Amino acid sequence: MAAIADAHGHGHDEALHHQFEDMDQQNEAYLVGMWTFLVTEVMFFGTLFIIYTLYRSMYQMDWYLAHEALNIPMGGVNTIILLISSFTVAVAVRSAQRRERNLVLWNLGITLVCAVGFLGIKSVEYMEKFQHNLYPGPEFGRHPEYLHGAAPNFAQLYYGLYFGMTGLHAVHVIVGIIVIAYLWVKWFLNAKNVTLDYVPTEMVGLYWHFVDLVWIFLFPLMYLMPKP
Amino acid sequence: MSSIPIEKGLENSSPHQREQANYLTVDWSLKSWLTTGDHKRIGIMYLISISFFFLLGGISAGLIRYELTSPAGRVLESETYNKIFSAHGILMIFTFLVVAIPAVFGNFLLPLMIGARDLAFPRLNLMSWYLYMIGGTLILGGMINGGVDSGWTFYVPYSSMYANSNIALVIVGIFFGGFSSITTGINFIVTTHKMRAPGMTWFRLPLFVWAMYATSVVIILGTPVVAITLLLIVFERVFQLPIFSPELGGDPVLFQHLFWFYSHPAVYIMILPAFGIQSELIANFARKRIFGYHFVAFSTLAIAGLGFLVWGHHMFISSQSMYQGIVFSLISFLVAVPSAVKIFNWTATLYKGNIRLTSPMIYALSFIGLFTVGGLTGLFLGSLGTNVHLTNTYFIVAHFHYVMVGGSLTAFLGALHYWWPKMTGRLYSESLAKWNAVLVFVGFNLTFFPQFVMGWMGMPRRYHYYYFAPEYQPYHLMSTAGASVLALGLIIPGFYLLKSLANGPKASANPWGAHGLEWETASPPVTTNFEQTPIVMDEVYDFDPVLEHEQAQARKALEPTGYEGYEPGALAEPKKDESDLGGKS
Amino acid sequence: MATTPLSKAAGHGGHHEVKFNHLFGNLLALMALMGITIWASYVNFGNSTINNLIALLIASVKACLVIWIFMGVKFATPLTRLWVAVGFIVFILMFGILGDYATRRFEPTAGWELNRPNGGGTALPREWPPAKRPEQGAENFRPRL
Repeated sequence: MAAIADAHGHGHDEALHHQFEDMDQQNEAYLVGMWTFLVTEVMFFGTLFIIYTLYRSMYQMDWYLAHEALNIPMGGVNTIILLISSFTVAVAVRSAQRRERNLVLWNLGITLVCAVGFLGIKSVEYMEKFQHNLYPGPEFGRHPEYLHGAAPNFAQLYYGLYFGMTGLHAVHVIVGIIVIAYLWVKWFLNAKNVTLDYVPTEMVGLYWHFVDLVWIFLFPLMYLMPKP
Repeated sequence: MSSIPIEKGLENSSPHQREQANYLTVDWSLKSWLTTGDHKRIGIMYLISISFFFLLGGISAGLIRYELTSPAGRVLESETYNKIFSAHGILMIFTFLVVAIPAVFGNFLLPLMIGARDLAFPRLNLMSWYLYMIGGTLILGGMINGGVDSGWTFYVPYSSMYANSNIALVIVGIFFGGFSSITTGINFIVTTHKMRAPGMTWFRLPLFVWAMYATSVVIILGTPVVAITLLLIVFERVFQLPIFSPELGGDPVLFQHLFWFYSHPAVYIMILPAFGIQSELIANFARKRIFGYHFVAFSTLAIAGLGFLVWGHHMFISSQSMYQGIVFSLISFLVAVPSAVKIFNWTATLYKGNIRLTSPMIYALSFIGLFTVGGLTGLFLGSLGTNVHLTNTYFIVAHFHYVMVGGSLTAFLGALHYWWPKMTGRLYSESLAKWNAVLVFVGFNLTFFPQFVMGWMGMPRRYHYYYFAPEYQPYHLMSTAGASVLALGLIIPGFYLLKSLANGPKASANPWGAHGLEWETASPPVTTNFEQTPIVMDEVYDFDPVLEHEQAQARKALEPTGYEGYEPGALAEPKKDESDLGGKS
Repeated sequence: MATTPLSKAAGHGGHHEVKFNHLFGNLLALMALMGITIWASYVNFGNSTINNLIALLIASVKACLVIWIFMGVKFATPLTRLWVAVGFIVFILMFGILGDYATRRFEPTAGWELNRPNGGGTALPREWPPAKRPEQGAENFRPRL
């Protein structure tokens, strides 16, 4: 029986938290923790995708007709924006590992611009839908020409899920903006807990990639339905 | 399991050194509690909060029981009655049972048991308590502000369209509570994976840690589903997004699928930690290594896994496809296998054990009986045919109370008594605690066994009046009488445990003579749990079988058998020689 | 503390640097796949199921690329990979819910067909009747909160 001499491990590394022994342990703990959180997010959105699958299989034609009102160019541009932002975040994480502060700041900055741009385009789309009375409720379908001949009830179901899923995704984008902005400020101020340790940046990156991941599925499912 | 004996260096030290600051006394200010990252303090904070919500849930249960003593009702309006039983369900499930054992004992014990200084993410842990408090406050706010009358299951379309009560507020509260669970689950998983002390291999983990790990997996996979499903009801009520609206072609049964996809595993979130506690209590008070350690550990994981495949057995009468019903029924029977593995292993552990009938052990023994009854009646309900007859009667109420109260709550009380000296450093009145454990057992059975009978006879659940069938009144009266006894059994510990804080004798580091890393640090532990990181050399529950057997024989010999001095053919004669009594040993 | 075999697999120093060209190539691949998705959704393969399958397949490939390269699972430890896999596996398991709807149509109908507005079938209407469009100004019983 022997005890570990320096049980507390303090003083090795400024970024090391007191409950861990070394940076390897801490880094993997944080990454596994982030991934388990993303698992919960997968289940969270997964539930919505299951609802989507069931209803779409039930009302294929009506949903196809209803989805024709969506703006594919805008959705496509948003996809490109998110892919680019995902790329810049990945580069930012790489730069954080190499401790290249300027590159991190630039890449996170581009990501922020992309995220805000995504929300801007999304809100333009939303406004359009509101003006066309495509938001579910008693006023839904007042302008039947935008329903493209879909049964109003089933179209309403479609738009219920459309707003529900893209809305929750947008909430995640907003949270992402807040977190990335916070991280950007930390890097800008040269805060030691991000500059000495790349893991906070990587965790934010993982979250943002997940937001991208959801959109990768949302875009074809919502915007690109084939004619049944 | 042995490790660096923490107290060894202190045995010959001055009283001042012994009285070093533990995690409770290190700082007294309220701020230090509210901003703490210490898992032990957060566990204590959880204990206080859940006790509060448990009290509220208990009061609503008392109201229900009082109301049902008369076939025509007593004091409540029907609407109020609906709100009260909904409040009982919501408070007990979402703010007590799901949270109780993981958040209190998991938080407190997991790092101690694996020899870590803290959980992997202390701040996340604190956040989970705040989320829980926000959620609890919202739920309570909703209840005070008019209540909820949909039952804890929130079935659509009633909850989304017709119910005129505070459903949105309460659901948002449950949503927060769900995220509190998720953060706890993430913390436990990472801690179990990454923070184990040197030598603490997976198969040296105490079974409570295994149970916590399995519970956490279920939490992080299940809770998001119910969170989003309930959130969709809020969307439907607040933002008018029709997701489950049947009048627009939505499917309310889909809600039930999604709801039970979480809420069946949630049953295992409530009972798996109880299994873990049970294994600890049985092994440590039978003073034997648990019988079939690997089987118990893997049956925990098997239950967690199978628990995700049986949600449909809550929906046999809900227009679910009968073919899927058959599959669900079959898999539900399969869950009985790992559960029975556990029961048999605990019983086998008792066999020839050096059993100490302490108060935690009495709770543990009553758990075995009560959980077996609850589990076996679950088989009645899992059968397609009998289910149709029994669903929505008091039979099902009795069934899940036998599992949840007889299982989880009993284990919770057992754990509270077992680890109370470790948590507070004080000893409570053991004789009072023993009698109280018996009182809980009697009160519980008197409350819920009559419910089996009247459920079988056909008394529907959730009914306010039963004047159409006054023959159920005797059973309701018995049940209410039992509930009073049970309530007494739940209030008394509050008194003697709190009294022990004031003037109970100081507990040693290991008052039970139990095995486990948590018993090798001081009671109460210091803030960093261990003064040096322990190195685990021994197996778990490593009692010396020969020594324990000899001890048991010696104790048995000392116990009066009633036949002392008996000689054949000399029945009427008095004992000849007193000194012969001890001669056997 | 416990240097488990898992954490050793992380490699010492904690991180692998991804090559910039890998990241950029991945971005280009993702863009290209997005273009293919949009194109494929307009092509008539004779059966829309094929379109759906293609769309889902491409989306899955894109997701894998993001997870593997951008999210760094390529360089992750086995433990991290385990937890990456768990979420998606249980998510797929959840599709078991749809088994209910897939098997309902095979249920026997005897006994239930009398006086059923939905033309019989089972105890509860399994086919949704064409819902009526809500009349303008009709009383909206959906509660506000």
